[in-house]
Amino acid sequence: MNAIDPALAGRPAATLMSGNQACALGAIAGGCRFFAGYPITPSSEIAERLARSLPEVGGVFVQMEDEIASMAAVIGASMGGVKSMTATSGPGFSLKQENLGYAAGAEIPCVIVNVMRGGPSTGMPTRPAQADIMQSRWGSHGDYPIIVLTPWSVREIFDETIRAFDLAERFRTPVVLLYDQVVAQLSETVVLDVVRDTALVERKWASGPPADYKPYAAGADGIPPMVRPGAGYRTHTTGLTHSENGFPTQNPEAVTRNLSRLFSKLDLNREAIDAWHTLGCDDAEVVIVAIGITARAASRAVELCRAQGVRAGLFRPKTLWPFPEDALRAATANARAVLVPELNAGQLSREVQRILGGAKVDGLFRFNGEPLLPSEIAARAAALVKGA
Amino acid sequence: MLVDQTAEFDVRDYLRKEMMPHFLCPGCGHGIALRALLWAIHDLGIDKDKLAVVSGIGCAGRLSAYIDANTFHVTHGRPLAFATGLALARPDLQVVVISGDGDCLAIGGNHLIHACRRNLNLTCLMLNNEVYGMTGGQVSPTTPETLLTTTTPRGNTEPHFDACALAAAAGAGFVGREVTRHVPKLKELIREGLSHPGFAFIEVLSDCTEILGRKNDLGSSPEMMLRQKSELRPTAYRDTVDMPFRPNHLPTGILARNDRPEYGTSYRRAAAAAREAKP
Amino acid sequence: MSESRIEIRFGGTGGQGLILSAKMLADAMAAEGRNVAQTQSYEPTSRGGYCNADLVIAEGEVDFPLLTEIDSLVLLDRLAVKPSWPLLKPGALVIADSRLCPDLPAQAEQRCLHLPLSATALELGSERVTNMVALGALIALSGVCDRRRIERAVRASTPRGFLNLNMDALDAGLSLGSGIGAARAAVAGSV
Repeated sequence: MNAIDPALAGRPAATLMSGNQACALGAIAGGCRFFAGYPITPSSEIAERLARSLPEVGGVFVQMEDEIASMAAVIGASMGGVKSMTATSGPGFSLKQENLGYAAGAEIPCVIVNVMRGGPSTGMPTRPAQADIMQSRWGSHGDYPIIVLTPWSVREIFDETIRAFDLAERFRTPVVLLYDQVVAQLSETVVLDVVRDTALVERKWASGPPADYKPYAAGADGIPPMVRPGAGYRTHTTGLTHSENGFPTQNPEAVTRNLSRLFSKLDLNREAIDAWHTLGCDDAEVVIVAIGITARAASRAVELCRAQGVRAGLFRPKTLWPFPEDALRAATANARAVLVPELNAGQLSREVQRILGGAKVDGLFRFNGEPLLPSEIAARAAALVKGA
Repeated sequence: MLVDQTAEFDVRDYLRKEMMPHFLCPGCGHGIALRALLWAIHDLGIDKDKLAVVSGIGCAGRLSAYIDANTFHVTHGRPLAFATGLALARPDLQVVVISGDGDCLAIGGNHLIHACRRNLNLTCLMLNNEVYGMTGGQVSPTTPETLLTTTTPRGNTEPHFDACALAAAAGAGFVGREVTRHVPKLKELIREGLSHPGFAFIEVLSDCTEILGRKNDLGSSPEMMLRQKSELRPTAYRDTVDMPFRPNHLPTGILARNDRPEYGTSYRRAAAAAREAKP
Repeated sequence: MSESRIEIRFGGTGGQGLILSAKMLADAMAAEGRNVAQTQSYEPTSRGGYCNADLVIAEGEVDFPLLTEIDSLVLLDRLAVKPSWPLLKPGALVIADSRLCPDLPAQAEQRCLHLPLSATALELGSERVTNMVALGALIALSGVCDRRRIERAVRASTPRGFLNLNMDALDAGLSLGSGIGAARAAVAGSV
């Protein structure tokens, strides 16, 4: 969470920073050099910060005429070979979906931040929700793979923004950074001068002779190398179904071949993509599955439960999609009950039920703009154990 | 890759031969516009490796795939927005947008006016065939009044856009219009647009014989071109000849040109200043 | 972890500088090596309507960053009473401005104090520094933070032109609070 590393004692004090600010700083640390956006609550602080900071590092910030244009510009910049990002909230995320699908289908790396607020429609712009869980996975038309990361603290937003760029570039895919209004606008004390143990991921660039290059021909990892305009390859990119050479095709064999690779490319690399966090799951009678501010409440609820003799645990996906199914199964193997508290009408719980079966999974839903409290989650978790 | 610029223009040097035959209908003006664009590129000695062509959806949108360059066939209405990102990220590229009347004025209309306002170094060719041809002939923002389309079965009653007036009013650095009938003039206009440092909007009056022409019994391609002629007047004559009996709906040639600052240059200058100011 | 958790709310109306006070206190606590989570209301009504700035302070990690049981509540407007009162911990400290928040629910469990925060600010020359007076009083009465730390934090985030005024207001608040504290101690001692 936001613990101050003891090793940092004597170093400059931690600074107070909001989640959205941490996202902007994480983007720059992650190599982002292009941002296109459109003002929307509660994500605008990301754009505001990058408008100031990107030019200072040789990047470009542009406020576009609408949400759709922002997403299109991000894809354009990324195809120019520059790590690119946009940030929005629910209504804007809806508008971006067509181009997000284009990025998924044409395999264009980019990062989309969606700060979740109450919905549907304009909903509650200044209130938290977690109701875009399914939209982030299935929001655009057609089948496509996507990565969604869901941090729960200011510090983790910084780290996960960097990871989002790494994953986007490595796997040629849009990556959604999905977090709620509370963690977006919450300020926490953080120390960000932490040395990363790995270098930033750079896109896999093609190096062979242009005549042999096929934009969608991949090796065993399923990820085709890309080219930069100007490097002599002169390729074609399209939203139409395409064959390995990038040109449109409706030939069933060619379509099957390319889409099968597309659909399986993340599954081939799950070890590098999956991430989760557990708290006290080993001996837990009841495991709480939650994300974002609800997971923060749940971590407190675990303590409250244990104080009254109920052995509770927390399972928190950090990579939300693809969902870390195996890790969830392992974490809940010994639990008699699983509770999924969330700020919506039951999205995460449906996925958890799909994985674990419906029998021991219960939900706790709220969608009135108020967060779930630790005491409420603890009470329900305790009741499940006693009733089970 | 640079084609020998001193050699005479050969369109085959700029086309992806593996994409032939093309899928345009007989009599369609889009191929002529494509040829004029490639001729202008040849004239200017633009390196194909540094040329990026972005197109939207529709008949015009399909043209990018035929060009031997860095080509992007993006979502409907968004080529200008995509190109804005590409050109800001890669100012070393020559970025050309090919769009249609529906793509550019209807679903992409907001992007057009803001591209004009922003004045980024892009050249936008709007191929106006006055109809949604790819989807089977529905009314577009430039379909003339009274014409029949599949969605105006009793004749179009909506007024149509003057795209060039719109672009000029929105502040485009360069605005021009030409017909496909005058290929060298069209090439020269595109050449001027490509050379302009800023946003250049060029409307090419194309024709859709197979869909709009048949539906309205407008004859074959030559007859449709002659119909255009009766409605057009080159700007050269604007000040010298007054012809109230033949209203000048659509003047051709260079219709607006200004020296507003190019946005990318302004942005990079301000960014460099910000970098220097930072300790 | 929970034992060290301290929850503080500055409640009032938008424009009173509640968030600034909270951020200054957060900075001071961070300088002491504590972890702080700070939240605030984001309504359009925060421009004039009810507004709050909340802090959760902990030695270790702040798990749940929103208020659950308030230890110290500063009230600069009567609008802030209703949404805050149910969150008060038994024995919580409540500092209310005598003029802006004259009426408090009768509740024996709380340490409720009415202080002339805005009147003191007015005497110093501007009602706008009521937030600084309140910050000083809160620190004197709660002992949540070292005096030098808060002075440093206020100095660090105050524009030069307002520095003297802010420091005077903080100082006045500290005196106001310690005066009350001393009086209480004296009363307690005499019993």
